[in-house]
Amino acid sequence: MSEGPRSAEGVPEELVPATATELARLLAANSSGPRHPVFPVGGRTAMGFGFGVDPASLELTTSRLNRVIDYPARDMTVTVEAGCRVSELQNQLKPEGQRLPVDVPLAHRATLGGAIASDAAGPRRFGLGTLRDYVIGIRCVTVDGRSFKAGGRVVKNVAGYDLCKLMVGSGGTLAVVTEVTLKLKPLPEASAIGFACFDRGEMVQDLLGDLATSRARPVAIELLGPKAGRQLAAESRQDLPSGPLLVGIGIEGSASEVQWQVEVIDRELRQGGAGAVVWARDDQTAKVWSALTDYQVGVESPVTIRAALRPSRTVEFVVAAIDAGVAVQAHAGSGVVHGHLPDDTLDAATAESVIGPLRELAAEGGGQVIVERCESSWVERLEMWGPRRDDWSLMEAVKREFDPGGLLSPGRGVDGALGHATAAGEGAS
Amino acid sequence: MAASPPPARSTVALELLERFRGLLGPDAVLASDDELMVYECDGYVVEKKAPDVVLFPTSTAEVAEIVKACNEFDVPFVPRGAGTSLAGGCLPVGGGVMIALTRMKRILEVNLQDRYAVVEPGLVNLHLTRHLAGSGYHYAPDPSSQGACTIGGNVATNSGGPHTLKYGVTVNHVLGLEVVMPDGRVVQLGGPTEGLAGYDLVGLFVGSEGTFGICTQVTVRLTRDPDAYRTLLGIFETVSDATQAISGIIAAGIVPAALEMMDQGIVEAVEAAYGFGFPLDAAAVVLIEVDGLEVAVDVEAERIIGLCNEQGAREVRRAESEEQRALLWKCRKQAFGAIGRLSPSYCTQDGVVPRTKLPEILEFIIESGKRHGIRIVNVFHAGDGNIHPILLFDERDEEQVARVFLASDEILGRCIELGGSVTGEHGIGVEKLSFMNRLFTEDDLLVMAGVRKAFNPRSSCSPGKVLPTAGACGMEHIERSHPGKQAAS
Repeated sequence: MSEGPRSAEGVPEELVPATATELARLLAANSSGPRHPVFPVGGRTAMGFGFGVDPASLELTTSRLNRVIDYPARDMTVTVEAGCRVSELQNQLKPEGQRLPVDVPLAHRATLGGAIASDAAGPRRFGLGTLRDYVIGIRCVTVDGRSFKAGGRVVKNVAGYDLCKLMVGSGGTLAVVTEVTLKLKPLPEASAIGFACFDRGEMVQDLLGDLATSRARPVAIELLGPKAGRQLAAESRQDLPSGPLLVGIGIEGSASEVQWQVEVIDRELRQGGAGAVVWARDDQTAKVWSALTDYQVGVESPVTIRAALRPSRTVEFVVAAIDAGVAVQAHAGSGVVHGHLPDDTLDAATAESVIGPLRELAAEGGGQVIVERCESSWVERLEMWGPRRDDWSLMEAVKREFDPGGLLSPGRGVDGALGHATAAGEGAS
Repeated sequence: MAASPPPARSTVALELLERFRGLLGPDAVLASDDELMVYECDGYVVEKKAPDVVLFPTSTAEVAEIVKACNEFDVPFVPRGAGTSLAGGCLPVGGGVMIALTRMKRILEVNLQDRYAVVEPGLVNLHLTRHLAGSGYHYAPDPSSQGACTIGGNVATNSGGPHTLKYGVTVNHVLGLEVVMPDGRVVQLGGPTEGLAGYDLVGLFVGSEGTFGICTQVTVRLTRDPDAYRTLLGIFETVSDATQAISGIIAAGIVPAALEMMDQGIVEAVEAAYGFGFPLDAAAVVLIEVDGLEVAVDVEAERIIGLCNEQGAREVRRAESEEQRALLWKCRKQAFGAIGRLSPSYCTQDGVVPRTKLPEILEFIIESGKRHGIRIVNVFHAGDGNIHPILLFDERDEEQVARVFLASDEILGRCIELGGSVTGEHGIGVEKLSFMNRLFTEDDLLVMAGVRKAFNPRSSCSPGKVLPTAGACGMEHIERSHPGKQAAS
């Protein structure tokens, strides 16, 4: 047994099962006994996300479930327990020349299960997709201790409902992921990221339009405001150009593909009005990729927001956010924007005055702005997910099927968005 | 969370029929026996069951009204696209109302800037490809039946196709759905923006085989056309050499755009039909396409040729012109059309194995054919490990038919043993219900049934599909007397 220390009331504060079977047994015991709310955690890199944690929750830690179960490298798949840290997995794949091509923030701490729950992604989502494109099989335990699986270990499979997709991004609200099978990709031979600054949003808008017909096929198109640009330069120890709008274009492939595309992109950036173009090449890019990936969680700010936009509406949104004092990074090719509100956002009303207009702007193009992290007392006022969408009631119905008692990560996810939070927990800061 | 049993056979009351005629107009309602016979099955012809009425709505509002009326009269309903399903996905188990979406076939929006298109479900897959030709973008999933199958049907089965090896299957290319829920509500799932908060109901809905509701609009991701491609044909003396070469290519970390195998039996039929110039004495040919930047495709093609030669390829040819490439692909995609030359009837299976197990499963298929005295030919998506053994027989010979079933079940059982699945792209439908208990535990199936209940609590929409009825083997309503002839994958 590996139950954690017990608090004064006799409630175990943390459950740290060593196997999936033990995890299922602990959940079954809780479900038929004390029925404590349960909060699954992995590497604790996204703890503040969403709606906070019910302080009465039992923490269920998956970190001991970290075995690689099967790695048939020649099939380009791997089956691994969910508590495995993402960078550890990548280290195991590397000698075979393979990788899971998903950018996960704080990958040295984050677990696969946590990455799946939070649908972690970064700059290369544009060219390489997100976890939903790579999870081909999954094993989970329901809050009442039943184990189930979906998918399998083959790359193409339509037998049964695709619960892998449902679990990716479910925020630990449906079931505890204990094991996943992933489709892998070969490591690229070479990589490069080019940076250039632009003075005005229109220049970037035109550049992105031209990139859509470029013969080059970047894997990432990044757009950063000045604050984010400075942090990126510091974190990645690169001498990046500084200016109002920093554009980064990422390329991967064979050495000849990368060399050819660097020339094409360099020319296109200059034609678009960039003064200098700075390139990080090959070994240098690792630091830049991780800095670009970690920025979303790597800033101590009172409020962190994320926008989902049509790619063509991204530049306009980024410019508006910068004008409102938000430190901003956009995965511009995908229309995903991360923003950190300024330190002088001292109360919910101030935060709301920044977020409100951005929400309106996003909504014009069918997009959405969500508050990822904020002070717990601001949760209600800031409407974390923004205006209600008509598929939320369906999400609620799915949640009820998995967890009718609302014991798993209570108040998170769609329940939180619909105001069913049992208690606002500890906030982000 | 148990699945409820399929409703008993129902007849559509005259009153309901009149309601439909008033709602849709008389030319959108088929109710006479001779008209309904056309809809008694899809590409899976083993089971037949005519619906009580077939409706042809032209708008989301009409679909919603139909569904509401069905609920009012407690009649089951099932959506249907082009009826190319190979697993009985469109079979109206228990009768009731069939909602044919083939008149909802408009392309509502193409937005190249944001790389998406919004289409109606009845749009034929190939028509979207044609519409986009010259734009620099395409819709990636390309099932072999793409000249007939619809986007809505592709959503239902999560269809694949030869190029899904590199680009992914339907679910990787659907961003949003408008759905008429089984209670008649219209709900928008996802949309043209990616990364919306909440559960990925779009990903869950794709591949639900019509059991979660009826999709009435699909927002699909558009993909840049490749800068360049090279199409190769590897010719092998033995099936084993061919499958070893395929495994070798994947193991070398090369993901071609497509990697398809045809064995001697199918090549013979295809050659007779299309006259490409295939060698008739080779045991297998492998169609390989690489795509990417012009600067890189020749290098990749050379690597693949080297790997084929290492496995003892007799020869690797290159398509020398666009015409030759197009003919090669026509031979592959229309291979099923040529099978009539080999046999009066045939039955296609759809198993999947880990890619390194291809040599093993192909050997097993050959042995199984010998053991049961059934001729089996193979044309399949080798790069994905997705096999399509085609069992040839004469349906007038009942004893032979029984042997076809034995061989089919044996092959799919072996796929499971090798760590694979019984369907890579055709779906469970009604055909493979009996395998669900072999792939999944009771708890797995209960959880899936619970998810279906959230969408389709009364199982009124597409009853009797995907999940076996609790406590039964799932075959109780199936009279498998003759496998019949099945269409292309």
